[in-house]
Amino acid sequence: MSVKINLASSLHHLTNDQAVVEVNGNTIGQCLEQLIARFPRTRKRLLEKNGALNRIINIYINGESVSPEGLATAVKDGDEFHIEVIISGG
Amino acid sequence: MLSQDERERYDRQILIKGFGEEGQAKLKKAKVFIAGAGGLGSVTATYLAAAGVGVIRLVDHDNVELSNLNRQVLHWDEDMGKKKADSAAEKLKRLNPGLKVEAVKEKISQANISQLVAGFDLIVDAMDNLPTRYLMNKVAIEMKIPFFHGAVHGFEGRAMTIIPGETACLGCVYRGAIAEGKFPVLGVTPGVIGCIQVTEVIKYIVGIGQLLTNRLLVYDGLNMKFSEFKVKRDPNCEYCGHSRGKESR
Repeated sequence: MSVKINLASSLHHLTNDQAVVEVNGNTIGQCLEQLIARFPRTRKRLLEKNGALNRIINIYINGESVSPEGLATAVKDGDEFHIEVIISGG
Repeated sequence: MLSQDERERYDRQILIKGFGEEGQAKLKKAKVFIAGAGGLGSVTATYLAAAGVGVIRLVDHDNVELSNLNRQVLHWDEDMGKKKADSAAEKLKRLNPGLKVEAVKEKISQANISQLVAGFDLIVDAMDNLPTRYLMNKVAIEMKIPFFHGAVHGFEGRAMTIIPGETACLGCVYRGAIAEGKFPVLGVTPGVIGCIQVTEVIKYIVGIGQLLTNRLLVYDGLNMKFSEFKVKRDPNCEYCGHSRGKESR
């Protein structure tokens, strides 16, 4: 399944300034693992030590939010992710 | 009922379809709570004052510092060392003498938040940290006060409108917290996000348009992109999960 991952600007320094990365995976979790395999520095930002989604990360698939427990959610060819990072300034 | 001066002052917005004198009268009656008199607070308070809301309660315990002045546009060079709430209130009164401004120089906490927001029609989130935002979100849900979220960092911003009991809340979107402290921000970023928050507040009060509910607006100024993500109510949300009921507005 070819899936396009759009990364928040604040993550681009971890992906050699790539804003969009294409991966192949059957679930959201598999797609994230492929992203991490290609850009290992993203692991610490995206996942907790126990493999759960980092609490400061939000994932949206085809424009809709995915629950933190939704890493096992199946994806289909052509799906598009957005990975956003929580911000808190005012 | 508007005075002749008010009809003239607000003439250009009264002309907007669906707004009219009736909408202006609603703004005049509105009591708005603004949490924070920093970057977002400066912008939201300025435009709400100019738009003619009746009462603004502005809460901030900090003093004005030199490093605030690139973005906190209600505070000027001459204000350094003053309480931000006082500095802001003084400018707002000069901008619109018809406005009643209450400057509260307290730190928002679990102990005082319910009392601070009691009697206000809506809460504008102009804070600089997530723990206080979660606290305000909790109280907004409990007291059924609409909550207008905004946040900034660098060239990036977020905005979302929360109608308690009807729409996804902050806890449905965010879970974590980020270390507090100095964060990078371009002055215009709170300008953009603050204006979006005020647009939402005015629409809500007047009762026109479609609110930014169940949608998180993400602004990327560096690439000049606005993205929008659908947000679902989380049935297990620790803030609003128990209060599901009405349909989304």
